[in-house]
Amino acid sequence: MISLATIIDGKALLETVLAAAVAGVGITLAASTAIYGFATFAEARTDGRFIAAGGAALLALVASLAFVGGIAVGLIVMVSG
Amino acid sequence: MDSSDLVLYIVVATALTFDFTNGFHDTANVVATSISTHALSPRSAVALAAVLNFVGAFISIEVAATIASDVVEAGAITPTVIFAGLIGAISWNLITWYYGLPSSSSHALIGGVVGSVIAAVGTSAVIGEGVLGKVLIPAVIAPVAAFVIGVICIGVAYRICGRLRPGAANRGFRGGQVVSSAMLALAHGTNDAQKTMGIITLALIANGNLPETGFEVPTWVIVTSAAAIALGTYTGGWRIIRTMGTRIIKMDTAQGFSAQGAGAATILASTHFGFPLSTTQVIAGGVMGAGAGKRVSAVRWGVAGNLVIAWVLTLPASAAIGAASYGFVSIFGPGALGPVLLSLAGIALGLGLFAQRIRQGQPVPAT
Repeated sequence: MISLATIIDGKALLETVLAAAVAGVGITLAASTAIYGFATFAEARTDGRFIAAGGAALLALVASLAFVGGIAVGLIVMVSG
Repeated sequence: MDSSDLVLYIVVATALTFDFTNGFHDTANVVATSISTHALSPRSAVALAAVLNFVGAFISIEVAATIASDVVEAGAITPTVIFAGLIGAISWNLITWYYGLPSSSSHALIGGVVGSVIAAVGTSAVIGEGVLGKVLIPAVIAPVAAFVIGVICIGVAYRICGRLRPGAANRGFRGGQVVSSAMLALAHGTNDAQKTMGIITLALIANGNLPETGFEVPTWVIVTSAAAIALGTYTGGWRIIRTMGTRIIKMDTAQGFSAQGAGAATILASTHFGFPLSTTQVIAGGVMGAGAGKRVSAVRWGVAGNLVIAWVLTLPASAAIGAASYGFVSIFGPGALGPVLLSLAGIALGLGLFAQRIRQGQPVPAT
């Protein structure tokens, strides 16, 4: 009798779930941080708080790069098989 | 051209028809959240999905390898058996489309082929380990994973952007949703188009056009499968859009982004490892997770329950239709007459359903 353990490729399944979680949560984290950064930048600039605006702009830029970079890495992994 | 080649051509045409209905049927899953939150208009969402479905079909062949090698014994079946399985899948897709149920095209395909194979050869030609380990267990795990990831994603989004002015956050997440929609369409194309590639490759192996060892998908199979799913997606399934977009949960833009992100990440990761998922189930898992992460009562669990019932029915129902189709075809012997007659009957049924649905109007206006 074949046991479930021999049928299921547990390692591949676990890696699939982990990769999905890291990608999904990571992209959401980066996008949310970028949105927060851009919104805070706009607000601080309107209020004349230029140092805060600069910090928020930097945060938005880094988070945007992480967002784009994360998607690019994911696609490269997919294409490279 | 001998009789077996004619049957092979009919199988290829039928598989591409299935691919078209898959795109047609699953459009809603890909675009519903973007339309629901007004991140994209219905027409631009569908156009974006169609283009990226086409592109997605080219980025991997892992799922095609699973369908062709790990579900049934290619050497033990014939193109006629595959044809009957496809009829089972297409029929079930059309029935669930007609009633507005977003059931799984993938499970319909696997169910139809397995049912047909059992009717033709018996259970010995079904690779039980492959069906269980590569299809059924991932089918259960993936939507649950998408649900949990959706819950975490919406928690992260609200934690970071919850105190922003709604206008700024909505604009940002709407922009993000254009990207997440694109990723979801790409993910759908790569997982679902590969199932058709796998079936056509299986038919080519069964007919002796390709060797059983050294799995390879011919380029023309990739291109035609990509084109068929993209065309089906563009043609769209407006009726199901309403079910997926508004009847499960009412979403804000952060939820839409989280749901699509969770779905796309799960489908792309699974595709990379060769698991032929139900993209419908995974996306619905992400949608429900993003809803439940905000407020458990925001999810219309009754509608969600109906979707689960449709999914549970899909494998046995498509298997039964696949088996019955094989029974019908085999009455006419091993030649092409049975497949031709069943194809004509299928076309008549499909046109009839389309005509009736068009007479009843489109539930969502294509603006």
